[in-house]
Amino acid sequence: MIHIQNVKKSYGTHCALQDVELTIAKGTCFGLVGPNGAGKSTLMKILVGILEEYEGEVLLENATFHHNRLAIKRRIGYVPQDICLEETLTARDNLLLFGRLYGLPKAQVSKRIKEVLRQIGLEEREKSVVSTFSGGMKRRLNIGCALLHDPDIIILDEPTVGVDPQSRRAIFELIHSLKKEGKTLIYSSHYMEEVEQLCDAIGFIDQGKVVEHGPMQEVLARHHHSSIYVEGKQVTAEVLQGFPLLKEQGAGFSIVSDEPLETLEQLARSFASQAVLPERLELSQARLEDIFIRLTGTSLRDTGMEGAS
Amino acid sequence: MTAIALLELKKKTKDKGLWFWTFLLPVIFIVGFITLFGESMGAEPEQLVVQIVPGYTVMFSFYIMISIVVAFIKDRDSGMAARLASTPIRRLDYFAGKWLPFVAVVLLQIVVLFTFGVVVYDLPLGDTLSLLALSIGLAFVATGCGMAMAVLAKTENMGIALTQVIALGGAMLGGLWMPVEFMPDVMQNIARFLPHYWALEGYKTVILDNGTLMDVWQSLAVLVGFGIACITLALLAYPRYLREAKS
Repeated sequence: MIHIQNVKKSYGTHCALQDVELTIAKGTCFGLVGPNGAGKSTLMKILVGILEEYEGEVLLENATFHHNRLAIKRRIGYVPQDICLEETLTARDNLLLFGRLYGLPKAQVSKRIKEVLRQIGLEEREKSVVSTFSGGMKRRLNIGCALLHDPDIIILDEPTVGVDPQSRRAIFELIHSLKKEGKTLIYSSHYMEEVEQLCDAIGFIDQGKVVEHGPMQEVLARHHHSSIYVEGKQVTAEVLQGFPLLKEQGAGFSIVSDEPLETLEQLARSFASQAVLPERLELSQARLEDIFIRLTGTSLRDTGMEGAS
Repeated sequence: MTAIALLELKKKTKDKGLWFWTFLLPVIFIVGFITLFGESMGAEPEQLVVQIVPGYTVMFSFYIMISIVVAFIKDRDSGMAARLASTPIRRLDYFAGKWLPFVAVVLLQIVVLFTFGVVVYDLPLGDTLSLLALSIGLAFVATGCGMAMAVLAKTENMGIALTQVIALGGAMLGGLWMPVEFMPDVMQNIARFLPHYWALEGYKTVILDNGTLMDVWQSLAVLVGFGIACITLALLAYPRYLREAKS
């Protein structure tokens, strides 16, 4: 279990993280989301040990990151957003580098290289130079480098940026298999449907603060507001007078409801009694992206100065 | 450290640019200038060889700074430096692992250029131990300067420009292109503040005067002193380099 306790980090006068408190349970896939400049990358840098100076405490099963840095680093695999590979070397050489950096014995490195190449679907390209790889293959090798030392915790920073659907699917399958193995995953992405599909728990960060967190189903339930959209020439505000939480939306109206089926029944009865025939009637459920927008707003976040990166 | 050093060595062997700057270009310059000065100025071939082979060896050894700057800035901007910082490798191991292969390349460069001088121009060598000590000192100072430049430079272009100033300016003022005795007094005094001058003086003492370690201790001390100053500067600026590394 990872406990992030009261973590603060500033860059000059800019406060990148403010009193961040999060708990990531062992064996879960935790989604870390937020707009650009929200503080995600700073938190990730702290978790992977790149940033060593911060206030507060991060604990991995009661061992503090401050005092057990090297031991903890051995248990973490980091997949950075940028592809960090040596392009002039082969896939094997790149994996070998990380095997050596994590101090794996020689015999084990060769075995692990084979296993990881099979896991990421690149066993046929072991001896190919990385510069000949497609973007998706490089992404998968980038993930492979983080898996070579068989870490318990894998931190993935936007691992599917710029990949084709086939590679994305392969990466998803890999993540599902890592989940089955009981690995703890921390997954950051701007693709909300990915996070919703892959993660069991989620934390939203905005302006350096955790604005919402918890198990995925609980967060979705907390912000679960189904809405019914209705449109038609005869459908007016007067016709829908009896319905609370009514909003004009485009050419029609939307009715927010916690009991959408009941509301639909009421609507049908109301239309029948008033002899109104709607032309369009739709039921929609709130998705993670709606929650993200609701929590973080719609304004552009191009001015954030997250990290020194 | 070994993992990084092995990686760097592997990369170096595949870097055609480095081979060109380190071995081919110096050979072209040595042959070109010995031919040019020999024919047009009628200088004694032995004097020319003794000035030009060690002189251009010293000058081109400083060109390793370009490769060091490029390697460090590429690591910083590609995310590799930060990626490596997330592994259990100690920060100083990364620094040393990147640095030592460049020292090896410069030592190999010196061996190749001197061997070329001996085989093609009958360059006399003198005391091997003194030559070796001077070569280690030269490799130390050239790569040390490169390390300082690499962690201090904001951009690759800035690093390369400063390298050119140090390599070419040092060569001109340090008497690598022509003996310092032919230069004005002011320039001769300036030369004494440059490692290039001391490296060449040391080599000349060994080659021309059969000097030993006792005769070149001053040159060695200056080279090592400069090297220590540069590496200290690089180590002081290194944390900032890591902070600025993209991740």
